Amino acid sequence: MNCWDPRIEEMPKEDLQRMQYKLLKSLVYRLYSFSAFYHDRMKEQKVHPDDICKLSDVHKLPFMFKRDLRDNYPDKIFTASKDELVRYHVSSGTTGKPTVVGYTQNDLNNWTTSLARGLTSVGLGRGDVIQVSYGYGLFTGGLGMHYGAERIGATVLPASVGNTERQIELMQDLGATAIACTPSYLLHIGEVAEKMGVNIKKDTRLRTGILGAEPWTDGMRNRIQDWLGIRAYDIYGTSELSGPMFTECAEQKGFHIWSDIALVEVIDPKTGESLEAGEKGELTITILQKEALPMIRYRIGDITTMEEDICACGRTHPRIQRIQGRVDDMLIIRGINVFPSQVEYALMAIPDVGEHFQIVVERKGALDDMLVRVELNKESFSDKINDIMKIRQKVEHRLRNSLNVNADVELVEPGSLPRFEGKSKKVIDKRSM
Amino acid sequence: MFWDKKIETLKTDDLQALQLKRLKKTISQAQNVGFFKKRLADAGISASSIKTLDDIQKIPFTKKQDLREGYPFGFFAVPIKEIVRIHTTSGTTGKPTVVGYTQKDLDVWADLIARNMTMVGVGKEDIFQNMVNYGMFTGGLGFHYGAEKIGMTVIPSATGNTKRQIEMIRDFGVTTIHCTPSYAMHLSEVAEEMGESLDSLKTGIFGAEPWSESVRHSLEKRLGVTAFDSYGLSELFGPGVAFECEERNGLHIWHDSYLVEIIDPNTGERVSDGERGELVVTPLVKEAMPLLRYRTGDVTMLIEDGCLCKRAQKIARITGRSDDMLVIRGINVFPSQIEHVLLKIPEVGNQFMVYIDRINYLDEMTVEVEINRDFFSGELTDLAKIQKKVGKELRDSLELRTTVRLVEPGSLPRFEGKAKRVMDRREEI
Repeated sequence: MNCWDPRIEEMPKEDLQRMQYKLLKSLVYRLYSFSAFYHDRMKEQKVHPDDICKLSDVHKLPFMFKRDLRDNYPDKIFTASKDELVRYHVSSGTTGKPTVVGYTQNDLNNWTTSLARGLTSVGLGRGDVIQVSYGYGLFTGGLGMHYGAERIGATVLPASVGNTERQIELMQDLGATAIACTPSYLLHIGEVAEKMGVNIKKDTRLRTGILGAEPWTDGMRNRIQDWLGIRAYDIYGTSELSGPMFTECAEQKGFHIWSDIALVEVIDPKTGESLEAGEKGELTITILQKEALPMIRYRIGDITTMEEDICACGRTHPRIQRIQGRVDDMLIIRGINVFPSQVEYALMAIPDVGEHFQIVVERKGALDDMLVRVELNKESFSDKINDIMKIRQKVEHRLRNSLNVNADVELVEPGSLPRFEGKSKKVIDKRSM
Repeated sequence: MFWDKKIETLKTDDLQALQLKRLKKTISQAQNVGFFKKRLADAGISASSIKTLDDIQKIPFTKKQDLREGYPFGFFAVPIKEIVRIHTTSGTTGKPTVVGYTQKDLDVWADLIARNMTMVGVGKEDIFQNMVNYGMFTGGLGFHYGAEKIGMTVIPSATGNTKRQIEMIRDFGVTTIHCTPSYAMHLSEVAEEMGESLDSLKTGIFGAEPWSESVRHSLEKRLGVTAFDSYGLSELFGPGVAFECEERNGLHIWHDSYLVEIIDPNTGERVSDGERGELVVTPLVKEAMPLLRYRTGDVTMLIEDGCLCKRAQKIARITGRSDDMLVIRGINVFPSQIEHVLLKIPEVGNQFMVYIDRINYLDEMTVEVEINRDFFSGELTDLAKIQKKVGKELRDSLELRTTVRLVEPGSLPRFEGKAKRVMDRREEI
């Protein structure tokens, strides 16, 4: 097994937890003393740093939400001086003010280290040519992956997004062995390559995909892997945590969350109670060594489960399952919770349909109405009404079984749904328009 | 203020000794590149036959077109696993020019930018908004790494969304900006419309296209900055090659890292100090991709007078090109690239004209091309389709938005001698 830092990555669990406790304790003391925001929050919650006597006492600490960042725009809760700040990233935010994240040099180092471990764990290193096709600039995806790939000594192609044909030319001509982008963009690249007559499997050296910034399923993974001849790994993070931070290892069984960097809990989003390993809930994350913008029990809004067993790769750090949806993305259809990822999961099990779909929710009278538009596969695309009807019934049946809700299905021509270079937009909720 | 006072103010003798040592090393490094190995062998030159700096004149020039033949990795002097970064820049035809960097190259490059920025008085307490393209273009990441090295706070805002750029300058108290001078003019207009005075700004670093003293005055007045000219090109790492000091009377080129010659572009002979000619540079510190006597195509001169800041000899601000390269919104475009794109599209002919205008301080390029009768059915939708296709192909290849006008076959001028296909109608900025 390749490890970037074997001492930390394979440290016995008890030692990791001891280290986490120490880091948590000093973080809480530091913030209680130097951050007005956290001081007030802890007071409100009637908790003092002295009350944190063991790791599980983290439960006593107050939660933090995205709105806390927005309310304190741009930098009111930063705990580093202007001199110490070396970077700002800004996420556009779909509603209202953007979220601003500041970094000290140590913050950048920890972020980069986390990625260096992750990239090494999927077998990348010196000699690899990594095409970074996330947007560069204020978005954390581009520069984050760039620094991680540079740290492991790989050759970095800072391709950024857009100009897809040029991207494919560069991939071929410069011998890219790995690409980092959103899964939606890789699908788009694959399609454009086919149109150009480039077979990614045969005509390029691409072997690895690091795909993130939006949730995607194992079904999608299988399709991407088979189609493009690569191993596709998920990567997790958001700008509030620094950016893309945690990858799967070669086992492809969830994200390794480095214990010296983050303390994760999974909670019941309604009650705020902690859940056991294996139970599904909302991810809550404490970044243990963040200087500029500390995060204690940040409610990130992502739905997952935690795995405490030791991974087959030998790394001892806890894992979380791939993200099954966001609390914000959850659709309530006639009282039933539906995540877009569940729809993707159901669709990818049907060989007749393609990778692109769209969910349209409308209110018809008093009832919610869900329509799933999905592209047919090129091979299944036919002008025989009977064939189409059969596939449609199959899809409707499958969706009903896995979502427990009726959905109308519209099969559309391959290539007719929108394609995306960054994060995709799969849900159109007309109820809120 | 100095980033590296010793090297920046080295005495002439010491500087020349250092240059000679580094030149020999560069020639040995260049022997790892097939192209140079053959060139040097043909000219009967090796590192040991260089006794003085003037001996460099025995080495043939390297031109932009030469680099095309090495695409993609033919000019790398180290194995690919030593290369940690690849950038691309405009080539003279379809394929871009590829430049590679070792870890040491990246460190040296960031150090040069740190020198430049320190020279104009910005430091770790400054907040820097970097409003140029990131990605394959060297301008964004180059300045980003230099500013980070100094310990400034970097806002990697890249290009676009001018209103948001202005809000960030206001909300983050930005003190230093980097962009093209024409984008800065545009920014100042939008700020005025928004009623934002941008009081926190104090330093403006402008480059990637030539600009005049009158634009300097105008930018300083409108943005409240002191404006500095920045020069560089991707083949020589990127930005950071030469930079104005606080005197703002010519640019200091870093002689320990770049050996400078000014030549008559027609004869290849050196011209004297104070005479204009083409800048030819031999980088002395590049590992991954050494170059010998690289013809930049930029027209300047060596300034005779010394500088009050005590740094070494300056070059004058760039006044033009010795070839036909155009700089459009900071992006380098060769007319041959346009021709190459059009040749690949059967729906249009081979005759074309390029018009360049400046509208609201921003460059606009219009390409006129003749339609090919065989592909024209008389339907208007066909025309729109072809126009869109040509626009997309040009954009993908030049990384630049252009306006495409389709014209009747036979209506564009034919040239018997040297074709004059480019009409640059921009007023000087």
